[in-house]
Order: sequence, then C-alpha cells, then structure tokens
Amino acid sequence: MANRWLEKIWQRIRATSRPEQVNRDLDDEIAFHLAQRVDKNRAAGMDAAGARYAAHRQLGNVTNIRERTREVRILTSLESLWRDFTYAARALRKKPGFTAVAIVTLALGIGASTAIFSVIENVLIEPFPYPGAERFMTVEIHDANNIDAVGRAEYSAPEFLDYIEKNHVFDLTVADASEDVLYQVGGGMERLHGILCTPNTFEFFGLPALYGRVMEPADYEPSAPPTFILGYKAWKSHFGGDPSIIGQTYILNGTARTLIGIMPKRFGWGSGDVFLPVKPVRAEQAFAAGEFPPVWYLIGHLKPGVSVAQAQADLTVIANQLARIYPKRYPPRFVVKIVSATDMVVGNFRTTLTLTLGAVALLLLISCANLANLMLARATTREKEFAVRSALGASRWRLIRQLLVESLILSVCGGAIGVGLAALGLNSIVALIPPVTIPAETEISLNLPVLAFALAVAMLTPMIFGLVPALRAARSDLERPLRDSGKGTGSGTVGQSRFRDAVIVCEVALSFTLLVGAGLLMRSFVALRGESLGLRADHVFVTRLPLPSDRYQTAAQLTGFYRPLLTRIKSLPGVTDVAESSALPPYGGFPTDIEIAGSVHAEKWPALFQLCSERFFSVLKIQLRDGRFFDENEVADARKVVVINETFARRYFDRANPIGRRIRVSDLANFPDKVADPWFEVVGVVSDVRNKGLQEPVEPEIWLPYTLTGSGQRGILVRTANDPMSVMDSVRREVWAVDRGVALTYTGSMENYIHLQSYAGPQFGFILMTLFAIVGLALVTIGVYSVVAYATARRTHEIGIRMALGATRSDALKLVLGMGLRVIAIGVAIGLVASLALSRILASQLWQTSAHDPLTIFGVAILLLAIGVAACVVPARRATSIEPTLALRHE
Amino acid sequence: MPDKKDDLLQGTLDLLILKSLARGPMHGYGVAEWIHESSQDVLRVEEGALYPALHRLELRGLLSAEWGVSDNNRRAKFYALTATGKKHLMQEAEYWRRMSGAIARVLQTA
Repeated sequence: MANRWLEKIWQRIRATSRPEQVNRDLDDEIAFHLAQRVDKNRAAGMDAAGARYAAHRQLGNVTNIRERTREVRILTSLESLWRDFTYAARALRKKPGFTAVAIVTLALGIGASTAIFSVIENVLIEPFPYPGAERFMTVEIHDANNIDAVGRAEYSAPEFLDYIEKNHVFDLTVADASEDVLYQVGGGMERLHGILCTPNTFEFFGLPALYGRVMEPADYEPSAPPTFILGYKAWKSHFGGDPSIIGQTYILNGTARTLIGIMPKRFGWGSGDVFLPVKPVRAEQAFAAGEFPPVWYLIGHLKPGVSVAQAQADLTVIANQLARIYPKRYPPRFVVKIVSATDMVVGNFRTTLTLTLGAVALLLLISCANLANLMLARATTREKEFAVRSALGASRWRLIRQLLVESLILSVCGGAIGVGLAALGLNSIVALIPPVTIPAETEISLNLPVLAFALAVAMLTPMIFGLVPALRAARSDLERPLRDSGKGTGSGTVGQSRFRDAVIVCEVALSFTLLVGAGLLMRSFVALRGESLGLRADHVFVTRLPLPSDRYQTAAQLTGFYRPLLTRIKSLPGVTDVAESSALPPYGGFPTDIEIAGSVHAEKWPALFQLCSERFFSVLKIQLRDGRFFDENEVADARKVVVINETFARRYFDRANPIGRRIRVSDLANFPDKVADPWFEVVGVVSDVRNKGLQEPVEPEIWLPYTLTGSGQRGILVRTANDPMSVMDSVRREVWAVDRGVALTYTGSMENYIHLQSYAGPQFGFILMTLFAIVGLALVTIGVYSVVAYATARRTHEIGIRMALGATRSDALKLVLGMGLRVIAIGVAIGLVASLALSRILASQLWQTSAHDPLTIFGVAILLLAIGVAACVVPARRATSIEPTLALRHE
Repeated sequence: MPDKKDDLLQGTLDLLILKSLARGPMHGYGVAEWIHESSQDVLRVEEGALYPALHRLELRGLLSAEWGVSDNNRRAKFYALTATGKKHLMQEAEYWRRMSGAIARVLQTA
C-alpha cells in the first residue's frame, strides 16, 4: 500500500517538475481521440482524408486545447495550495498553545544556528575582501623536534629577497612589517600602527583606494618623495573622515610625508592605521643605530595549478640554502610549512567555531525532534479528522501535503523570529569574540549567504520534523479510528509510541552530549582561572611608551626620559608604586642563550630576559625567594646584577646556591645598543611568574636593570589605590611634561590585558556552549513533559481499569514515572557513549581537564535524570488522581 | 475570466462527465461518445472543452487517471471516479434534479 502512494507522490512530483512530460501525455491523449474518431468516420463510409478532416474539425484547435488544459493544471494546483495554506493557518490558530511552543522551539534552533553560521561565514569562509585571498600563503619555519610549536613566519630583509627571487611557486610575493608611527596631534603625540609595505603590496591585495590612489612602483624607490596611505578606521578616528586631506603633508616619525590615498573600510592588512612604502635592501645596517631592523612577515600568492605540497618542496630548497648562510635563524632540523593566510590568522579559533557549529547543529536537531514529537502527538489526536477526510476522498498525498504545509508555516514563522533573534544575539556574540583572533578585515553581519542559510534551515527543518508524522498520519488505516470510540489503547498505537520514545531518547542523548561539552569547557575554564599567575594584577595601570627613535638610541637617552618620569608619577595622587619594564606578564621578554661561570654544557641553554626598574617586583607583588632584589642605586648605575626565577635556579643551578654566581646573557651583545661583556652577578631569586602565557610551563627568566641598554620597547606599570583607569589622564600629562614627543599606547588595566590575552578565547567557547546546552535542556524538558503527559492522557482509560481492578495510587505513579525514566535512562546511556566518542574533538580545547572527566559526566547524567523526573511529576500527579469511575467514562 | 454562461456550461459538463464515469473507467473519447449517445444524440459535447475539464476534475481529486489499453489495442488514458468524485456526483445530480424540477414547474404554470 505504501508503495502505491509513494509511486503517486512520485508521479505528482514528476508532473510538476517535468511539464514536457505532461504535454506529451496530453498529445498522446488527443492523438488517441482523433484516431478513434477517424476509425468511426471510416466505418461510416468516409474516405481517409475526409475522415481525418472531419475528426479534426469536430475536436477543434489542438493548440488551443493544449493551452487551456495547461492553464487548468496551473490554476488548480495554485488553488489547492492556497486552500492547504488557509486550512493549515486556521488549524494552527485553533491551537494557540501548541503553535506558540512550536514556533518558539524552532526560533531558538534556527536563531542560534543562523547566528553561529554568520560568525563562521564571515570569519572562516570569507574573512578577507581581497580577490584570490584563498591562495594567499605564508611560509613558516618549524623546529622538526617540536613541530606543533608556533613557527617563524617573519624574515630579515635579505632572507625575504632570496625567497622572492628564488621561488618558482608564487606569482607575487610581498611582505609587511610593523612600526610605531608617532604623529603630532594638538598638544601631544599620538601613536598610529604603521605597516611598512614592500613593492607590489597594493597590486597583491587588489583593492582600489577609496579616495586618492594606491602605491605605484615609483613610490617605493628610496629617492621618491615620502608618501603614505591611510587605513579607513584611522582616517575616521584621527582625521575626522575628511576626504579633502588627500595631498596634504604630515610629519610621521619626524619625516614629512604626503598622504596619497585612503583605503576602503575592509582593507585592513596587518590591522594597519598607516601604510608606508619601503623597498627592502640586502644591507641590514641601513637602519639607525638604536633600532632593531624590521622583521618582514612574508605572504605569497600561489600560482594557479601549484599545490601546497609543491610549494612546500620548492621553498624547502631555498630555506636549506639560507640556513647555511644564517645558521642562527634556522633550527638544526627544521620543516617548512605553507599555511594559508586564513588559517594563519584564524588558526586556533577555527576549532572553537567548528565546535560551536557542532553544538548548534545538535541544538537544531533537538528542536526538530521536539517538534516531530509535538506534531506526531497532534497528528494522533487528529486521526479521526484525517480518517474522515480520507473517507471523503482526500488522497493520502493531500493529507501529507496538508501536514507539511502546517510544518512549513511553523518553520517560516520560527525562522523569521529566529533571524530576528540571531540579529539581536549576534552583537553579543561579536562582543564575546576575543580580539586579534579574527582579522581586522572581517565584518560579522547577517549578509546574503547567511540569510540564504537561515532560509535553507527553515525549509529543511519541516522536512525533518514534519515528514515522519505526516507519513504516519497518512498511513493509518481508515476504519480503525472511526470505529474506535476511546482514545485508543489498541495495538495500532504501539508503533507510534515507540517512535515517540525513540525521538525522546535521541533528544536526551543529544542534550547529554551538549551538556557534557559545556560542562568540560566550564571545568577547563575554572581550572584556567585558578591557574596562579605568580603576581597580583589588580589595581595596576599599564601603558607602552614608544620613544621617537631619532632622539632615543642610547641607554643614557632612555634613562634621561624614564628616571624623571618615574619620580613624577610616583608622587601623583592615587598612585602607590610605579615601575619601568620591557615586558608585560604573562609574557616575558627577549629570548637569549645563557652561560654560567663554572658550568660546562654542550647544548644551548635558553632563557628569557626582561629589563626593568627596581620597583617592578613590588608593583606586581612578586615574592622574593632568596637573596634580594636589585636596588635603586644599582639601577641608577646600570650595575651588572640580575634576579632570576625559581625555574632558572632549579634548571641551571640544580641544587647549588645561585646567589653570587655569574651568568652571561649572550644576546645582549647583539642588541643595537649592545652591552659589552654581558656577564652578570645573581643577587636574588623570585617566585615563578607566568612568562609564556597561562597554558605553557614557565621558562627560566632573568631580570636586569633597565638602564643597561637603550634598545627594546618599554612601558610603565602603575599600582593605584583605586580604579587603575582613573590615573590615565594624569599619567599622560606627566609623560608629555617630560617629553611632548612620546605617545601612550595599549593603555589599560593589567587585569583587562590578562583577560583579553588569556581568558577571552576559552570564555567564548564555554559561554556559547553553555548557552546552547541550557536552551537544549529546556527543550528536552518540554519534550519529555509533552510526551509523558500525552502518553498519560492516552492511558487514562487503562489506568482507570487497573485501579478499578485494585491497583494502588503508587502503582499508577510508578507506571508514569517508569514511562518517563525508561526513555531518559536509555537516552543518557546513548549520550554517554556518544560523548565518549566525541571527546577527542574537544580534547584540544581543554586545559587540565580530562575529556572523560567523570565528575562532569556523572553530574550531567544526574542533572538529566532529575530534569526527567521533574518533567514527569505533573503527569504523574494527574495519573494518581484518576478516579476509576471517571476514567472509564473518559470519552 | 469565464462569464456566467460558461460557468453553467462548465458545471453541466462536469456533471455529465462524472455521470458517464459512474459506469466504470473510460477514456476521453468514450466519455464524449457516451454523452452523445445516451442523450439520444441531443447533447453533443464540445470536444475542445472536454480535455481541460477532465484534467481539472483529475487535479481536484474527483477523478483518477491511469494509462491503459483500449478495446482496439491503442494506448489510452482511462479516467475513473474517486470516492470524492462519487460523492460530488451524488450532490450535483441531486441539485440538478431539484433545479430542473423547479424550472419545469415554473414553466408549467400558465
């Protein structure tokens, strides 16, 4: 029987989707008619030609008939569709409670998936506005012994030129480097993020200027008049968004440069504010004495037809040659990796987003399952209606279409509200996204592909939740519901209740998986928050102070700025302490090799070192473990004394007392403002402070007086009595009182800095996952409740009979609770297996938390069982209050 | 848009088609011939209107259609009444009897 109407459905679909088939059938039909008529005419004695002529005349214009018939077909199907639609709308209006629950359920599912998809579309699929951006590749050098560690993607100018000239795989290769650009505004100095760009950069990205023009080859020549290009954001924030400033000259870093162009909004390569043309040359010494030479971040456009593997092979050859020339810059054994720019920029965030997408898909499935159950329950109560209509001649196809149209109305309403929810929720999601994890070019919004996605989901969901109930309703045989006077305890309902139970089992399993994911991420986040930084970050204001490189190159020049500044800030109201520093925890300073007098070792001994003033330890409340901190006089005299951390003492001095020992900080000799004979005496040991971020083990670290060298970026840390941000204006005044040419950058509270650096990423995944898990749980609660309540209502008759035959109220209670708990328990069991299987995906996102964390899994199981019992309570109470006499009369 | 006269004709044609199929499945040509013969040659179906009407009734679910083979071994599309079609025929025939009876009574009154 099923086969026959499936065949019919197929014919209908074919008839509407293949009009030429319909036309051919009609032609055949008419041809048959004519043939019959001709036969009859011939039998009446006409000759062949006359018979054919008469037949045609009687039938009339065949083309006209074909036209009219086709018109009939189109009009009739539109008409019946409209009837289905109005009928469905009326049916839904009659049950406002059901309709509201259904629409809200769908809106949550569709809204959440649309919001997450728009993040994914804009971040992972189309992050860059540049044509051909999917073939932008960066080149990374990885240590073969530690292949998963972050590789090097920056190159010196000679290296970059070699890669450009010798490679056969990129049709265009450019590079950029960051530079602080100081620029005079009103009474003080502001800092812009400068991007040095190499020839062809603007050809490479292929976006025209919004105003003015982009760089041309001549602009990069050292002899060309100095020019620059403005980024959109800086143009709006620092130059009032005025296009007439093109052609004006500005003093940037002491050089007069002409503004030649303003880039459009989505051009944001390197998050640059200003773009300066530079032509790298092989002689690295071309840069001023006090400055480090720029490091070039290389990016190439893969030639058509060249694969990543081919590019890797080609560049490995060049890297091997370069490694012989610059042995310090390449590990002894290394691997060259070609990474797409999208992967490079989005990197680790991809996993978070993919996980979130998975979570949201689970949520959508739960919504659909819930809806399927609601629809099925509703279809069952409408069995009689369908049986009557079907007895009156409505075809099964009509009934199925009817139910599908109802589902479609629900999902379109749900979809519309869902898109509204998504638009509202998107801002909150974007606010949660940790900065710098997504490229500056990315704009997250509900765009066309996203709306298309939402539409597709809204069309797909009724197929998932509406089709099975529709097929079941249409399949039910005609007479039984008509004969059956009660609500039915007959065998026919067993299959249906099985199906409903299966849906609930799936829902519980899906929700279990979601909850376990959220629970694990939460545990991981709590563990991360509990991780000790080794310092007190509260009440600390931080700012980085890039100094104009023409006037600050030597240690004496640098000290001449900082010494009076520290004194002035110390005496400000609300300031309790202040320090100078070259690094900001939880990241620690410059890498170096070290040597220790009296220790012989073959391998390199790496460490990090940081330049700071004597108050650094007290500002961050870092504990002294042994010896002493260096003091004010030692800093003032730039004495060669150092403080080391416990990890250093443990790793390189073993159990010996490090105080008084001498160590060599080798890389200080390579600084532009170098320290000759960099041997230092250890005066103290402090407790470990995180210096490779929160999730990496602490590295050996050295602190030395900041007055030793003029090289390296510096900033200040201010401990305050009250809100750290309250001192910002007075600190800025003091900075400009000492030197008007210095700008404050990256100002903020240390707590906020640490939050953005270390907590924002994990928090994003955990908050979203938790949100979805809670919504999912709410949906499952509704689902379990509706199924148990419905089943109880259908079994009122049966329970009444049981009670009349002597069953007690507690028997009835057990019956109902048993119904609910059985499906939940099965769902939990399946969910357990599923989440164990899926835990591998989550593992990379977890910190000090096992993906099989028993506490989380056990807790989630208890939670779901408790929710299940709660959902059964109301129906169970209803069952126990059944009066046998009433129940037996019950319809 | 069809005018009122067409509506009446169409309704009448539908009724005649349904009635002709009450005897069993038949192809379009057979329907036209049966109406012609059983009205003792009075009613001649306008054959150009027959096929749009058959298709309309099929789409409305009053008729079902299947391809089969005719008496003289030709491929032909056979139409049959559905349950809805039968019910519709009963209602329409009853209506028609009442109407024609009423009209006849009106015409008889002098």
